[in-house]
Amino acid sequence: MNPTNINILVEKAADHIGSTWPLYSFVTSNPLSGYEKSPFPEAVQRAKEVLGTSVYPKASIYKKALENGDINAAVLQNLLHKHGYKKLPEHYLTLMESQQTVEDVNQHSDLDRTMVKWLSAFMDEGLAEWEMPFKSSGFYSAWRKLVPYDELLGKIETNDIPKTSQEALTLLSNGLSEKQILEIFTQHLAALPGWVGYIKLRNQNKTAWQKQYPIDLQQYLAVRLWTAKQLGLELISQGNKTQPDPEMAELQYLWLKAWEKSWQLELVHTLGNTPKEIELKEKKTTAPDAQLVFCIDTRSELIRRHVESKGFYETFGYAGFFGIAMDYENAQNGITQKSCPPILDSSYTVKEVAQANKEVEKQKLDRKNEVSQFWNYFLKRMKNMLPSTFGFVEGSGFYYGLHLMARTISPASLYRFSSNKKTSHESVCDPQLQSAQNTNDLNVSIAEQAAIVKSGFDLMGWQNFAPLVVFVGHGSHSANNPFGSSLDCGACAASPGRHNARMLATMANNTEVRKLLATQFDIKIPEATVFLGAEHNTTTDEIELFDKHIPSSHQKLLDNLKSNLEKAQITATQERLGALGNSVSMAQVNASNWGETRPEWGLAKNASFVIAPRKTTQHIDLDGRCFLHSYDWKSDTDGTALEAIMQGPMVVTQWINNHYYFSTVDNEKFGAGTKTTHNITGKFGVVQGNGGDLQTGLPWESLYNADNQPYHSPLRLTVVIQAPKERVNAILSKHEGLRSLVANEWIYLIIMDPEKGKSINWLDQQVLEIKEEEQFINGFLKKNLKEELTIA
Amino acid sequence: MTQLTTIIRKSSEKSVLTGAIPVLFWLVFIGNLIFSLFHFPNMPEWKWGDLFKFNGFSALLWTTVSFFGGVITTYASSYFKDSGQRSKFMLLCLGFTVAVMLFLVSEHIVLLMFSWLLMGAVMSNLIGLDSRWGEAREAKRFARQYFVIGSVFLTIGLILLASYNHTITLSGVINGIGKTPDHIVVISALCIIIAALIQSAIFPFHKWLLSSMTAPTPASALMHAGFVNGSGIILTMLATVIVASHTMDVLFIIGGLTAILAQFTKLIQTNVKQRLACSTIAQMGFMIMQCGLGFFNAAIAHLILHGFYKAYLFLSSGEEIERLNPKQPPIIKIKWLEALIVLLFSLLGAFIFARLTGKGMEWDSGIFLTLIASITVGQATYNIVKQKTFTGLQKLLVPPFLFVAGIGAYALFYNGVSVFMTGMEIVSVPSPVTPLQITFGVVFLAGFFLMKLGVYRQIPWLYVKLMNMSQPFKKTILTYKTKTQ
Ligand SMILES: [Zn+2]
Repeated sequence: MNPTNINILVEKAADHIGSTWPLYSFVTSNPLSGYEKSPFPEAVQRAKEVLGTSVYPKASIYKKALENGDINAAVLQNLLHKHGYKKLPEHYLTLMESQQTVEDVNQHSDLDRTMVKWLSAFMDEGLAEWEMPFKSSGFYSAWRKLVPYDELLGKIETNDIPKTSQEALTLLSNGLSEKQILEIFTQHLAALPGWVGYIKLRNQNKTAWQKQYPIDLQQYLAVRLWTAKQLGLELISQGNKTQPDPEMAELQYLWLKAWEKSWQLELVHTLGNTPKEIELKEKKTTAPDAQLVFCIDTRSELIRRHVESKGFYETFGYAGFFGIAMDYENAQNGITQKSCPPILDSSYTVKEVAQANKEVEKQKLDRKNEVSQFWNYFLKRMKNMLPSTFGFVEGSGFYYGLHLMARTISPASLYRFSSNKKTSHESVCDPQLQSAQNTNDLNVSIAEQAAIVKSGFDLMGWQNFAPLVVFVGHGSHSANNPFGSSLDCGACAASPGRHNARMLATMANNTEVRKLLATQFDIKIPEATVFLGAEHNTTTDEIELFDKHIPSSHQKLLDNLKSNLEKAQITATQERLGALGNSVSMAQVNASNWGETRPEWGLAKNASFVIAPRKTTQHIDLDGRCFLHSYDWKSDTDGTALEAIMQGPMVVTQWINNHYYFSTVDNEKFGAGTKTTHNITGKFGVVQGNGGDLQTGLPWESLYNADNQPYHSPLRLTVVIQAPKERVNAILSKHEGLRSLVANEWIYLIIMDPEKGKSINWLDQQVLEIKEEEQFINGFLKKNLKEELTIA
Repeated sequence: MTQLTTIIRKSSEKSVLTGAIPVLFWLVFIGNLIFSLFHFPNMPEWKWGDLFKFNGFSALLWTTVSFFGGVITTYASSYFKDSGQRSKFMLLCLGFTVAVMLFLVSEHIVLLMFSWLLMGAVMSNLIGLDSRWGEAREAKRFARQYFVIGSVFLTIGLILLASYNHTITLSGVINGIGKTPDHIVVISALCIIIAALIQSAIFPFHKWLLSSMTAPTPASALMHAGFVNGSGIILTMLATVIVASHTMDVLFIIGGLTAILAQFTKLIQTNVKQRLACSTIAQMGFMIMQCGLGFFNAAIAHLILHGFYKAYLFLSSGEEIERLNPKQPPIIKIKWLEALIVLLFSLLGAFIFARLTGKGMEWDSGIFLTLIASITVGQATYNIVKQKTFTGLQKLLVPPFLFVAGIGAYALFYNGVSVFMTGMEIVSVPSPVTPLQITFGVVFLAGFFLMKLGVYRQIPWLYVKLMNMSQPFKKTILTYKTKTQ
């Protein structure tokens, strides 16, 4: 077998493994993205065989959903019936209960363990003081030079091992058929999907660590297979595979579908019952006091309701990276990180530049950062070195004791104290947009900036401007939380969205940009309109405004807005935490308590993405289950805005939704298990207990209320679009990828056609009317109700 | 043990009960603190027949252990979202603390042995808290073997002495040491030392600690701040036996070698909790070394201070996620003037340390500890002098501020501990400096320079050896697979 063919086979085998994202930028992506080309039920069945995972909710979870009405009994029965399952749902529930996860001995434990040992040493990103020798020559070469010292593998000399991983793989695959090789590769990659997923990601993203210390799947396989040979193991393992039970899979799938359909009926019903457009229109002849743009994130739904109820405010939903494909250079440590959806390439870099007359403050801040970085280094040094580590522990132990006490007794007051005290970059700096591609000219033209601003207003279907327009990014605050970034903005590649918000406000305030918008695109922003950036703290529901540049003419409006946002914080936290008094300080405890494994619920419960004007969803409590994107089909005459929304935000929400789904149905393999026994490895990931495979998804605490009681209902995403059917169809026929997502049931699509006045469930080749079914169900429900009444 | 589990299972429903446990701990802590402050510095001593005794030493450690209990259970009450796990943890935590407290006041040696075993039994149950997890069960079994063997050694050591002296109390054993033949004392001492070394995970008994990460984080905090200290406590309680048997050098050498080796092993760890475990092993090695030098009070001060330190690091072990860029280790060069400042401050540090703690004022084994304090001051000064952010004046002021604060706090603690320990048979027995100690001092300094100069980075085989040596017990990783049927 020649090297090119081997490469192709490795690539092919790797499709079975998802990517593992580092926890400092935890992107919630679909772990089965490599299977998206197949229909959902087939794809999950294949994943189950290769990875040995569960792929549908457990019977006990279905049972509870049926009991509390989340699964509509009529829908379920109807669906089962249609597929030839004529007995009562309870019968099939018992059948499904026989599906159990059992503990089995790992036949390849020695091999897996050896791999984990070398991989964690090699892939470490700065946790160990003494890094693995020969690391910069790459994984395979480093291993080759070190393995003779590893007595666990028996006697082996460096020269006994081929020089390159290519040679090793060619040698090892000698005399095997292509099919066998593919099977071997797949099995050995699937043995440690977490680590393999991280190797994949390092190669996809070409991280700084990858450039310095290269590792790829060929090297992984070469080391692994060579070790297997050395340990006397068969490369290909036979048997031990469970025979798939197609009937069971179908039942599980049908129950899932019934659950999803039940939710869709409920959603369509609620959305259909909103007050008529005309009534709302009459109210809004004048511009509101302020307009606030929030991320499409499900957590925005709640805060938007509360903000709107506090005054004459209009809110919008827009992807939280605010349309700027940028990387952000962190002013605190100089490290650049992505701050836009991972599906986009970054065209810009945003840096912090001192505001006029604030150079001195900026210098002070920089120095402060430098000093605090020095102290970190100092502590590390003192702890690591001999014998200072002993003297250090004795000299500092008492102070650690005091700190222990303080963090235990009053985390919230420490939190308030530290957030009051810090002067931040936001107050002395302005963000500056620079080109990331063109190295000669970093400036970004006014036309380009205007285009970014314009596309935002286009996508949201913006009509008129209030004197204050606030772009609200979001970020989460939590203490001692390895999964902190999973609670930040998904549209910003798991960073807080504040910098994107500030950047967009800066551009929209630029007089030249405004001039261009007015002359070229007829977007007339009144002179009295001021834009500002802000951040919604999703743990405490505080909205922090970055308002240093506000003219005095707007002071009163701003003060008003601030006091209303404070009121909104109180009622929003009350609703979210289910508490009456003290809800804000309870939330602050959640944000600062180092023992808190669930500072907030993140995007749990997400089930739908609604692309429609706010008036469609306004005054409805959607229970934080919907992503909301503002969109006005009337102003988007050629459908380009909708196209952009479906290609960008819709795909991101699908990633998030699938991630939540799989992490819930198999928390150990697709998720991260419980946080209580996590052990951070290499500064980027966690393993369970003493070690093992790298954990890839969300932890149990982010998904489950209690044992076997998911807080997140594992449902596939239902996208609801308010637009004419023809327009959506045109977009789908243009984009193969989008169409296959819907056709293969990775997402559902419901079109609320404003021209025809009904909702349509989009299916490939055929269109199914939902309203009819709804009538059938309602009829059934009524009958049921009657029966119950007579019994009572 | 099965009875204990049934109790646990039954009460796991009653989360109200477990909610009260942190409150209980804080009340016990405050009670102990008030009691100690009230009587300080003349701690009373009580005895209940042949069963219990209570003195300053018990008061000090009761206060400490209830403090850790309070901190850890408060933490755990929000940490565990699964109420079954939470209740189970709370009760085990309570059980562990009761075992430690019982151990500290045991006068009857059967009580002493029982509470020692109970500590191990409860701790192994914390390691295997999640009984549905195969690797956790393996880790529990593995640790339990160590603890049972440790208890057997302790029992042999104590029974030998007790039966020779026809006594069943601890004080009876200690008072009879003078009349006991040497060979019995030596055998007993060695047994006791082995029990102590197992509990503190000293080389070559370190494997259980490196395999204990299946325990939830707060349980690890309890283990590293409480459980492993058992050795320091038992050696102090039986200091008379150790001194009489002339086995101090054994402690000194094993402790010292462990300290150096574990500290090197720590450098290569890529998992946070294993890194902390290596650090604990090194610190325990140092504590044993302090015992070996005759400073039992220093060992007690060290174990308490290390408890604060390590509990803090475990409880905050989720903070280690960070985006970094690859960076080469800094190249170290020092200028003459800087070297002079470092030397000056080191001497000053040594002087203050000796004055405040009394260690190293005479030409005895205390010199060794003063030397370590002095080098620490030198290293701190060196790091500050070498960096660019501070101005010249700051570079001169910051180091003294730091080492005065550090040494001051330590001295306060050390002297306080010594006061609590007054009345014990042996608080500290500085020994004359022996050639062995000097030789070892040189080894220690060699280790220090190896580290300082980064020479170790050039030795690949050492890396692999240390890596293999610090692997957890193999059955506690990837032994099982779950499979959906
Ligand atoms: Zn967002």
